[in-house]
Amino acid sequence: MKKTLIALLAAAALAGPMAASATDASDIKSFTLDNGMKIMVLPDSSIPNANMYLFWKVGSRNEHPGITGISHFFEHMMFNGSKKYGPKMFDRTMEAAGGANNAYTTENVTVYTDWFPSNALETIFDLEADRIAHLDIDPKMVASERNVVASERTTGLENSNWSALQQQVKGVAFLAHPYSWSVIGHESDIQAWTQQDLVNYHKTYYAPNNAVVVIAGDVTEAQVKQLADKYFAPIPAQAPPAAIRTVEPPQKGERRIFVKKESASTPNVMLAYHVPATKDPDYYALDLLTSILSDGNSSRLSQALVDQQIALGAETYMPMAFDPNLLYVLGVAAPGVSAKTLEQALIAQVDKIATDGVTQQELDTAKNIKLMGFYRTMETINGKADTVGTYELFFGSYQKLFDAPKAYDQVTVADVQRVAKTYLQRANRTVGVLAAEEESDQ
Amino acid sequence: MSRRVSLKAVALTIAAIMGLAGCQSTPESAASVVVSQDTGKFVLPSYETVTLDNGLTLMLMPQREVPLINVQAVVKAGSIDDSIAGTAELTAQAALLGAGGKSKQQLEQQVDALGASINADAGEDGSYFTADFMAKDADVMLGVLADVLLRPNYDAAEYDKLKQRTIAQLSQAKESPKSVIARYFAKQLFGDNPYGNAADSSSVANIDVDQLKAFHLQNYQPNNTAIAVVGDFDVAQMKQKLTQLFGQWQGDALGASAAPMKPVFAPAKNRVLLVDKSDAIETTFLIGGLGVKRSNPDLVELNVVNTILGGRFTSWLNDELRVNSGLTYGARSGFISYKEAGLFQISTFTKVSTTEQAVDLALKTYHRLWEQGIDAATLASAKAYVKGQFPPKYETSGDLAGLLSDMYLYGFDASYINDFQKRVDGLTVADTQRLINQYFPKDKLQFVLIGNAAEIAPIAAKYGEVTKVDIKDIGFDAK
Repeated sequence: MKKTLIALLAAAALAGPMAASATDASDIKSFTLDNGMKIMVLPDSSIPNANMYLFWKVGSRNEHPGITGISHFFEHMMFNGSKKYGPKMFDRTMEAAGGANNAYTTENVTVYTDWFPSNALETIFDLEADRIAHLDIDPKMVASERNVVASERTTGLENSNWSALQQQVKGVAFLAHPYSWSVIGHESDIQAWTQQDLVNYHKTYYAPNNAVVVIAGDVTEAQVKQLADKYFAPIPAQAPPAAIRTVEPPQKGERRIFVKKESASTPNVMLAYHVPATKDPDYYALDLLTSILSDGNSSRLSQALVDQQIALGAETYMPMAFDPNLLYVLGVAAPGVSAKTLEQALIAQVDKIATDGVTQQELDTAKNIKLMGFYRTMETINGKADTVGTYELFFGSYQKLFDAPKAYDQVTVADVQRVAKTYLQRANRTVGVLAAEEESDQ
Repeated sequence: MSRRVSLKAVALTIAAIMGLAGCQSTPESAASVVVSQDTGKFVLPSYETVTLDNGLTLMLMPQREVPLINVQAVVKAGSIDDSIAGTAELTAQAALLGAGGKSKQQLEQQVDALGASINADAGEDGSYFTADFMAKDADVMLGVLADVLLRPNYDAAEYDKLKQRTIAQLSQAKESPKSVIARYFAKQLFGDNPYGNAADSSSVANIDVDQLKAFHLQNYQPNNTAIAVVGDFDVAQMKQKLTQLFGQWQGDALGASAAPMKPVFAPAKNRVLLVDKSDAIETTFLIGGLGVKRSNPDLVELNVVNTILGGRFTSWLNDELRVNSGLTYGARSGFISYKEAGLFQISTFTKVSTTEQAVDLALKTYHRLWEQGIDAATLASAKAYVKGQFPPKYETSGDLAGLLSDMYLYGFDASYINDFQKRVDGLTVADTQRLINQYFPKDKLQFVLIGNAAEIAPIAAKYGEVTKVDIKDIGFDAK
């Protein structure tokens, strides 16, 4: 079982010589229940374990001012009791069966991850079905969980300059679209959303027709099908959630923000450029461009900034997104280097790609780094579940996995230069600086 | 945003408490035999160990799921062997700044072009070199590994850049209490013992290229090193390649030092290190004391007991501090074990105004170990949890190469994996009582609190003799 899947994913993985392998989509078993829930199964018996990844198409982009952070808060509330398994019983039952879990929320999705010995599969179905169909939103648990989330927010800001800076950069890069606020939400909203907000949110977004489920590990398709019919099929579908209507208007000039943080030992500089949604054909060229900028010690930013002692470190980040989002470039200044010098050095490297392009060797390196990363992801049942779910969500179908090799392979040095010219422009940029002291007017 | 504090931290703690082979014998009467939950069979994939004539150990484990290879070389010399704190770490890292006549840039370009990676690092007990690459690139990448391990350039100009960056990064790390609190705690607990060696900007400033060369010469010896290879390869061919590359490696006649280690003294009283971070918006703290060595025969069982206290989401600490009281996003505990010593710590964080409430509740919850003990149902759940979460820790080639190099470094074998379920199953309620009394530090506790001292100094004084430092001061203790 395992071998076939790997062959398939290798084919999906890009890069010329590796991409030819003949495989087909039949290695992933997929079916959709009558209530609209789509389920994919990836059998793999290398360890006696399995997982269940539930991807819900709800994230901070589905919020509005007043309930910012509610998607993430919901991720917490899903563990706080339902009809059959009351407060604390979800975790206690899962752990006593040898399982563990976690969950995460992004701008786009909320994902629940269960990891367990495969013979606990039915218990996991029972637990998940109970909270999807019959969540009990207990006001006492809501009150306590608000404090937990407030602590999560605080600990992020205390320990991560990236978080502190990114929250503010997003706030000005987006004037209209809900990507404007952070996933954790505004402090005041965390304390303010109502019981009715929560009830509505669950009914709308935690409907089976709004979910994609992936199960990977030591299981069979027949087993999963039988349990899905028993536990998930009876949950009724709901009217589909409203579409996100707001389209961010084009940015007409550079925007800037400053965050003061006394404990910052050197300035941090973040550049954020608007880029298209993940399903746009330019995704692949942009993805390789970020790799050329920052993957490995021979990357552009590492050579030009870290090696030249302008920065202690520099990186890029381009989250997968349903709507047009941002491509981030972040640098942390070396001692004695001003925010301004670092900013100019970062911008110079970005601009250089637009003006001079990249070499074939750099592009090949980026493709090889992608391929390595892809294989390493496919080495675990969790990596497999995550990748299949991700393609299903952000590229429209897990079958798109089969188009990816060609899409990466076809990216040329000219494409990289073109997307740099198109998107990485001054007028399309927000600059954020975090430092202990703001520079004076003089 | 995720629901849990990064699982990575948990994994590190658990990885650090792995240990030992050795049969742990817990005598059990027929009456006390517990029914244990089946979590599926899991055994370590087979591997071959070869010792070359020069004393170098090779450990070879084929794994063909993906066409990749992971290699981990481990040298039995770490920060405990530092004469100036930071030497082991910099000796390892600087080996990547050009080797075998290739410049840093040439080396990095060669590795990156293949999509491969090579990393070097030192821990307390060992120095590690990890290479990750596609199977087709094995010849090139094993050659690179041999160069950095055996023939590092130690170029002074390149090293100076690394040194300056390391000094700056030591300051940068202090921007995040979570990333440095463990260093303060280890320093407080181990003091002058080598396990308290923590690199700081003044120690690093004193390390020059000659010290790296000396550390390399003394410690990087074939009979002090193992190379673990896991992935898509043929064992006979791999053995031949490695023998070609490493068989001529001759050690220095002196060999690695084997000076006896300074003893570790148990704390004589409660002490509190208060680390002032004036812009702190929360208090981050650790509470604990001495733990156990890696060779301790009770390590697996002790991990089960700790799972109940602070090793999983439903653990007592997380349940009380997070779920019941909303004081924090997460609370946990764990043993961290080294070759010659170990520590135990409870860790969490809370907003400034609830500092006292959180410390008190952590202590109260901790003392349930003695006041209330562990019941059969909770023990059964923890055993299932520990067993059920065990196989995924050894799923990837990197995980397995890490395990093999730990086996070499700490002297245990495959029975650690293969007997794990049996050992966990054998643990009884009576055993847990013995383990609690024998190993968990009950009093003379050590505290580190990082936060706004203006607000929390009076609270700190409640728990023991207070020493105050500023987070921006050099190092991790009072000078």
